[in-house]
Amino acid sequence: MTDAQARVPLLAVERLTMRFGGLVAVDDVSFTAYRDEITAIIGPNGAGKTTVFNCLTGFYRPSGGSLAMHARGEILRLERIEGFRIARRAGISRTFQNIRLFVGMTVLENLIVAQHNPLMTASVFSLAGLLGLPRYRAAERAAVERARHWLDRIGLTDSADWLAAALPYGAQRRLEIARALCTAPALLCLDEPAAGLNPRESAELNDLLLAIRDEERIGILLIEHDMSVVMGISDHVIVLDYGRKIADGTPAEVRADPEVIKAYLGEDEVAEVPEPIAVPPAEAGVQDQPHEPAALGSRFRGNDG
Amino acid sequence: MTAASGLAVDNTSKSRDFWAPLLKDAVLAALVAVLLALPLVGLQTYDIGGGALGIRTHFDWVAIAGAAVFGGRIALRMLQQLYRGRPRGRGRILPVLAARGGRPAMPITLAGLVCAAALPFLPFSSRYLIDLGTTVLIYVMLGWGLNVVVGLAGLLDLGYVAFYAVGAYTFALLARDLGFGFWEALPFSGLVAASFGIILGFPVLRLRGDYLAIVTLGFGEIIRVVLLNWASVTGGPNGISDIPRPSFFGLPFARSAPEGGTTFHQFFGVEFSPEHRVVFLYLVILAMALLTNAFTLRIRKLPIGRAWEALREDEVACRALGINPTTIKLSAFAIGAMFGGLAGSFFATRQGFISPESFTFIESATILAIVVLGGMGSQLGVVLAAILLVSLPEFGRAFAEFRMLIFGAAMVGVMVWRPRGLIAHREPTVRLGLQPAAR
Repeated sequence: MTDAQARVPLLAVERLTMRFGGLVAVDDVSFTAYRDEITAIIGPNGAGKTTVFNCLTGFYRPSGGSLAMHARGEILRLERIEGFRIARRAGISRTFQNIRLFVGMTVLENLIVAQHNPLMTASVFSLAGLLGLPRYRAAERAAVERARHWLDRIGLTDSADWLAAALPYGAQRRLEIARALCTAPALLCLDEPAAGLNPRESAELNDLLLAIRDEERIGILLIEHDMSVVMGISDHVIVLDYGRKIADGTPAEVRADPEVIKAYLGEDEVAEVPEPIAVPPAEAGVQDQPHEPAALGSRFRGNDG
Repeated sequence: MTAASGLAVDNTSKSRDFWAPLLKDAVLAALVAVLLALPLVGLQTYDIGGGALGIRTHFDWVAIAGAAVFGGRIALRMLQQLYRGRPRGRGRILPVLAARGGRPAMPITLAGLVCAAALPFLPFSSRYLIDLGTTVLIYVMLGWGLNVVVGLAGLLDLGYVAFYAVGAYTFALLARDLGFGFWEALPFSGLVAASFGIILGFPVLRLRGDYLAIVTLGFGEIIRVVLLNWASVTGGPNGISDIPRPSFFGLPFARSAPEGGTTFHQFFGVEFSPEHRVVFLYLVILAMALLTNAFTLRIRKLPIGRAWEALREDEVACRALGINPTTIKLSAFAIGAMFGGLAGSFFATRQGFISPESFTFIESATILAIVVLGGMGSQLGVVLAAILLVSLPEFGRAFAEFRMLIFGAAMVGVMVWRPRGLIAHREPTVRLGLQPAAR
């Protein structure tokens, strides 16, 4: 979509390799995610998508290759940063395939915990906080306001004081995205955000992700199996299979790529083979598909909004 | 016709709905009363000469107690029915307490506080009662300290008594070798215990749950064994005696002051009484425990406190949000240990003598039981559980060798009926303050 203009790289992955003993989970993968774009990583189960994410967000130390993040005018080599520092220094935050909320805490608390680092600075090692200095109070109010902004956005303002565990599944997925956004990231990594959502919810998710890209100017890196999400909103799709990159391009290019069709449908390219995920013609018109316009327009506001 | 009979059925079922639970409740209450009354008023010992005891039975009194409770219970229910308009299932005091967990629980907390502060001055209070209160408060403070580690940060610690010991020995050694008084040594006890908390924290950073519990258990034993065997410093099994008592702003509680000083009773011109010191000790530990509580309640609402709870919920998610699990865990260990050390220092000054025998695993287990029984993370729950766990064995002395049996049964009972502890409610640290109903 921004192809015509000069694309500004946000994250450059060069020859990334990840080995677990004899198993090569990610094999020499290179790709670039650009600023103001949604980049999708797709591929059959076990293709190494989540491993790439875990390398990016510091949960794994890559066996080889480099991960360069363009953050605030400087280039940071992610593989050299200690795992938990990546979120703050490089501005990368993520969600998880199986939702990892702080279920025993309230929705609002989940979003405040995500702002731990700025609040910790404001509380001066908890001293200003213990004394209740105005500086800390102001910081906390600002944190609550930021949380409220995202709660309004995902339509959970009314459930702010509920335990996160009490939310329905789809709302938990949205809350996890909001929590990642509360760290004020430059790149948001979403691991299967549409998993388990119904068609209406995944249409709403598309809407939210587009808004994050366009209004908040946050780049998105996405792992997804739901092709209506991938083909509908991605600017750029990367296909992995057995840890290797087999295709890289716009959704239309990728959809037409014979390698991709082979990976999804099997070596024989026979139509009878049960399709794990429908990629080809069936999905052609996804972008134009009418997705309940009311839901799209409501932009996740609560029903009363 | 059908309508009429339907109505009749409706009526009887309604009255059955009211009477059946009421009677059941009253019978249960009466049963409890009879069980309690049997040993308390039903059996009386008397001297039959030659130092032997005989037993008189008063089953009539037991029957009266049972009947009184039965009738009283029904009367109480009827009254409630009158005022509330509908019968409630059971007397749910704890959920009510819990539901009023935060600010609305103020009246209850305040009443408890006033009672605690006034205890030594009440007409019926005795030296025994104040001593018992002091012991309860030591455990309350230890429970609150451990609550930071176990309840908030979710790090199962079976060796908490180690920090209690470190605090006690720090004060004892400072007093013996450097002549420190209680108040001068108190901050050092806290600091040294906190350092030990960090020392324990480092090797267990990567451990969770069962594994963490085993290592902390080992740590507790190491401290005890070192205290036992390093005889040249700690006095070994003989312990350290003649630990100084705390003074009241420099005024000692003694019959006569050493070389020209003034004692508490001389300064205030009151008759000397050994009870002054007992009451003073009680008030000191009350103040220390309340400070612990105020600190914990406050820090829970700060980023560090929220990070503790987040860490308990999901460490992986914490890392992804840029929270450094190392500092968060170590701070929880250090702060929990600090409170343990402060309590230990108080324990040393109260006893005047310490030895490794006071710091065995059973202490760790008791403190942990207080936290778990009270409801993980609940400050009020710790108080209730400490009162229950410390005073139950005391009041159970009448049952002699059965006392630990009753103690154990009570714990099992609580865990069966309230598996998440006495008060399982968790007050959010921050609210958006929206009233959904009003919108």
